[in-house]
Amino acid sequence: MLKIKLLKNFSWPLKIATQEIEITRLYPEKMMELPAAERGIHELDATTCIGCSSCARVCPNNCIEMVHFKFGSPLKNKKMQFPQIDFGRCMFCGLCVDECPVECLKMGKKVIMAGWERKDIIKGPEFLATKRFSAKEVTDLEAEGKRIAAEKAAAKKAADAKKAAEAKNASKEGAADANGAAKKKAAATEAKPKEGGAA
Amino acid sequence: MTIASEVLSSIQSAFPGAVLDSRVESDRRLWATIDSNKILDVCKHLSSKHNFDHYSGSAGVDWIARKEMEVVEIMASHGAHQVVAMLKIKTPRENPSVKSLTGLYWNANWYEREIWEMFGINFEGHPELYPLLLSDELMGAWPWRKDYKGYPDLTTGERAVEITTPDGYTQYRIPPTPAEVEAGTVVLERPKYPSFREREELEIKSDSEMIMHLGPQHAMVPGPFLLDILVEGERVKKAFLDVGYIHKGIEKIMENRTWLQGITYTDRMCYVASLSNNECYCGAVEKILGLEVPQRAQYIRVILEELSRIQSHLIGTGEFLTLVAGVGYAPWQYMIMDREKIISLIESVTGARLTHTFVRFGGVRNDLPEGFAEQCKKVLPYMKSRTEEFIELFAQDPIYSLRMENIGSIPAETAKRMGCAGRVLRAAGVAYDMRKEDPILVYPELDFKVVTGTRGDSADRIDVTLREILESIHIIEQCLDRIPSGPIKTEAKIPKKVPAGEAYYRVEDPRGEMGMYVISDGGDKPYRVKVRGPFYATFQTLTPLLEGVYIADAVAIAGSMDGCPSEADR
Ligand code: SF4
Ligand code: SF4
Repeated sequence: MLKIKLLKNFSWPLKIATQEIEITRLYPEKMMELPAAERGIHELDATTCIGCSSCARVCPNNCIEMVHFKFGSPLKNKKMQFPQIDFGRCMFCGLCVDECPVECLKMGKKVIMAGWERKDIIKGPEFLATKRFSAKEVTDLEAEGKRIAAEKAAAKKAADAKKAAEAKNASKEGAADANGAAKKKAAATEAKPKEGGAA
Repeated sequence: MTIASEVLSSIQSAFPGAVLDSRVESDRRLWATIDSNKILDVCKHLSSKHNFDHYSGSAGVDWIARKEMEVVEIMASHGAHQVVAMLKIKTPRENPSVKSLTGLYWNANWYEREIWEMFGINFEGHPELYPLLLSDELMGAWPWRKDYKGYPDLTTGERAVEITTPDGYTQYRIPPTPAEVEAGTVVLERPKYPSFREREELEIKSDSEMIMHLGPQHAMVPGPFLLDILVEGERVKKAFLDVGYIHKGIEKIMENRTWLQGITYTDRMCYVASLSNNECYCGAVEKILGLEVPQRAQYIRVILEELSRIQSHLIGTGEFLTLVAGVGYAPWQYMIMDREKIISLIESVTGARLTHTFVRFGGVRNDLPEGFAEQCKKVLPYMKSRTEEFIELFAQDPIYSLRMENIGSIPAETAKRMGCAGRVLRAAGVAYDMRKEDPILVYPELDFKVVTGTRGDSADRIDVTLREILESIHIIEQCLDRIPSGPIKTEAKIPKKVPAGEAYYRVEDPRGEMGMYVISDGGDKPYRVKVRGPFYATFQTLTPLLEGVYIADAVAIAGSMDGCPSEADR
């Protein structure tokens, strides 16, 4: 009886041995198929990041630091500050990803990041950014930014001048209309050269 | 069935004036502040009249603003009713001292030692008040008090004394202040933790005896802990257990992190059971916030927690069998292969293989991916047939049964008295499962059995574990059939600051009853998080169990508890 049992047990490994089994041992030659939800190395969309540093604040390990990076959008991210992640400390919890208000930080399927030194695995936006602007696009955007800023400034100036003039008008109720109009014109011409300077 | 309000009125009528303050949160939770002089009588009354035979742990809380400390005794019953009584005892902060419950409950020992070393609350009548988790030199620093400044005392540098050891290492010691000595919170003549040599001199009585180390680094142990066994020939005469090698101070860290960040730390208590730990913490916070979890999220949580239970049982059993069988890595290999399938399933949802950080306040992080149900329906029947095969295999193996049967048996009464948890308790025949006792999420709607054993020995523990896998598979199958569509997160906005309040939430961890006691003072960080871990409870029973067994069985007993020292030490 005992012998039969023992024999039966030996049949088990044999059965297993004939099966084709895949586990991670194939690793260096063949990567495992990773699911879409995989929480691997972060991917930053530098074109939309607004530099709000929400991600840096929520990180439990304090591994995100905001650094300067050239190839983002100067329109959305005025100070051009983008996250840099210290993967020596990151535990891939994904809280930063959940916290990002514009969903520009994602976690991808890339998981290899070995380095010789500790500082090798501190990855800046240069490494993280999967989407970025080219240098030309950045200069264009900067120009665009300046133009918008100038337009805004001009609009503000004009509005201020108008307000001031109206206030004056209101105070000098009895004064002649022509006088007031001339003053308004003068204010407008004064503002113009300054606009040009800003642009 | 007894409910919380009945228990409260019974205490009030038996001991007029003993209840200083009380709150009946629900039928299953009672909060009461008890006069510290009457606590022993109240506990005696509860255990004799209301079947409160389960001392589930205690927590210390430092209320620095109110200048008092609190010890919260968590009392429950092994299945007679579902009430959990949280009995608070107050003591002034200047001279904190309360009565010890070790006379009534054997397992109060470790919980009280921990509170003593962390908060400096003295326990009158405790037999062996010496450090459990902390190293000797941290004694007297009382690290979990709210005014602890770091070690060595970084702000003033006054209290830490630098000592150079003969080997040239620098040690710091924090001597007690005269006030503390006077107050008696510091036991000056406490039994010093003996070195190996000292222990040898102390314990070895004859030439036939010797002390053997199992650990802190040993193939048997799943994490570092030291088991010294005093042996005479092949028999273990006495066992000494030292824990704290992997103490991370997670409870203290969580006090210094925001509510959301705390989730990531619960993962790290026990990496194979991280989903249950997430659930326990989030559940407690949800209770304080009064959040309702959407149905779909509840189902997702149940599915994942059961998957996580399966993989935890597989890794635990495989690891243990490798140790006892001495046949190389065969059982480990088979079980880890199967576990890989489960892990892949979990990974496809959470995005991580371990440490999932998946459960969120009022929901979950991700929805189930496309085709998850189909994938499950492929893997689960396979798992089922494999598990049945394992059960059959172990049942018929003569070597296995010689090695495991009637080894380390615990009778049901003893298991209850010692406060064992999880498989150790259930193998002894006590059907105590949080999923039935303190049902959360959608568990009440699901059909499953609580698996129990009869003999309470190592073989039974493994058998219970494997049959629990079958139950888990059954639960997941039901969930997949019933899961509704809908949102996975609550609509309600989760505030950065949690309103003041407290909650005690229990889940069934793969290793047994896990509870978290969370207090909020209305800030953006928890005021206190107390983790009542299942293995901590079971671990305590190891030393008495090992007395009188063969050396080879020590491994079979310690291993069959499916230990995780990381969770015990926190
Ligand atoms: S994944 Fe977690 S640890 Fe890593 S950077 Fe994001 S928040 Fe920090
Ligand atoms: S990545 Fe997102 S959260 Fe971080 S700074 Fe950019 S926009 Fe803000």
